[in-house]
Amino acid sequence: METLREILDPGFLLRNSVYISLLVGLVCPLVGVYLILRRLIFLGVALPQISSCGIAFAFALQAWGVLPHLHEQEHRLAFFGSTLFTIPAILLLSLLVRRGGGSAEARLGTAYVLAGAWAILLLVTNPLGEHGLLDMLKGEIIAVSNADLRRTALTFGVVIGLLYLFRKEFLLVSFDREMAITLKKAVHFWDALLFLLVGLAISMAVLSVGPLVTFGFLLIPPLIAHLLARNMTLFAVGAAGVGVVAAFTGFCIAYRWDLPVGPTDVALLGLFYGLAFVAKRIVEALSRRRGA
Amino acid sequence: MTAEQVLTLERVAVGHGRHVVLPEVNLDLRRGSFTGLLGANGSGKSTLLKTVLGIVPPLEGRITLHPVDGHPAVLGYMPQREVLDPVYPLSSYEVVLMAACGRVGPGRPVNKAERAWARQCLAETGAADLAHRLFSQLSGGQKQRVLMARTLATQPDFLLLDEPTAGIDAQATQAIMGVLKGIHEQGRQTILLVSHDLTTVRQYATDVVWLHEGRVLHGSVSEMLSRDKIEELLDLEFR
Repeated sequence: METLREILDPGFLLRNSVYISLLVGLVCPLVGVYLILRRLIFLGVALPQISSCGIAFAFALQAWGVLPHLHEQEHRLAFFGSTLFTIPAILLLSLLVRRGGGSAEARLGTAYVLAGAWAILLLVTNPLGEHGLLDMLKGEIIAVSNADLRRTALTFGVVIGLLYLFRKEFLLVSFDREMAITLKKAVHFWDALLFLLVGLAISMAVLSVGPLVTFGFLLIPPLIAHLLARNMTLFAVGAAGVGVVAAFTGFCIAYRWDLPVGPTDVALLGLFYGLAFVAKRIVEALSRRRGA
Repeated sequence: MTAEQVLTLERVAVGHGRHVVLPEVNLDLRRGSFTGLLGANGSGKSTLLKTVLGIVPPLEGRITLHPVDGHPAVLGYMPQREVLDPVYPLSSYEVVLMAACGRVGPGRPVNKAERAWARQCLAETGAADLAHRLFSQLSGGQKQRVLMARTLATQPDFLLLDEPTAGIDAQATQAIMGVLKGIHEQGRQTILLVSHDLTTVRQYATDVVWLHEGRVLHGSVSEMLSRDKIEELLDLEFR
């Protein structure tokens, strides 16, 4: 209780970290809903790793003298690197998945390991701030400036706003592309916009909480909501709700017992998933027994 | 060409990429006709349907959809139910409501009138009680009713249906075909129905397009489904 009171205090030192956690918990599941529906879960694994590689690449450019070293501009630089890698990657990989031919899993797996390897290589050869970068990639949600928070909130606000505004178009082109074509919808445009928003959200989330936590929030809350949802609205709202609750509870637990926030969030999501799965099985068994 | 035509295909080659399935299709469909599209497996029925719909681009030739009452013809497409991924937790009502996307612009909410229309279409196909059930958990026949409701909800001038009675029982087939017959008789809508079922086509259609070894044969039901013609097309001898 004391922990909760401390965290909810307006003067709490780590309040920006709480806000960032909540934003990631809200937005990543909403984006993850589309990755699950379009059966692009592996894309959700590969993209955060590619995003990390992009961040490492941007800092390497600075270390090599290609980009000037600007004081207190790390967040902007990291966002540039993350977006530079993530958005072309998502457009290319989703196109390859859609076109078929070859193994999509093999391609995504290759992208994942290559991005991971290159991120480490770029980091260890970077003489500037290896330690700080490693923290960023591990998802240490501690030092978040007001400017970082504003940028993250603005980006996520745009993503949520557009996902909500064009939800019927995104759903139509995802569920029944052929029908969308017969209704004269510009399916390539809507696909590109959806993947752009997914890429933007992942870039920003990786920057804030690292690839592991980003993937955790992209995948697990939608899977929990999918177990229980009876329609699309409940699915999306449920996924976002689970994400926010897990983010806040995870932060409280991590703060109380001095644990890293990101891994605590993911472990908690795993626990929620297990509980939801068991609860669903019990409800099904009870209704079967009632029916018999 | 007459004012009654709704679709004209001129020297259209149909296929995927370099693989030509039908090298030359010349076809006119009259407004208000109910045409059964028949042919063996792999003869190109679904590909031809998708080419008319604009889903598969024609390899050659020209497809003209003629305006209906001065406006561009609205197409209502009913796909095979298996192509729709069951991972989507969509209620049947949400599936039908998708048809509103043809009339409601991007970013605009679906209004009350559209919602009421979606419910009415579900009722017309006898699927009102399925509205709040998950589409993925319905039986084959129930899914077909919901998809039929969605097709109607597009307010089409020209309905194109890909095997709507495949894999469903006789009772569900009769229900689906009864709805189609009603639409055809009341609304003078043009219908193109892909089917394997000669009996159903004979019972409900006015015209037949038969795809046979790359050729497209078109005629009335009595002409195309006569005993002699079927013997010729199916290489069968009736005893």
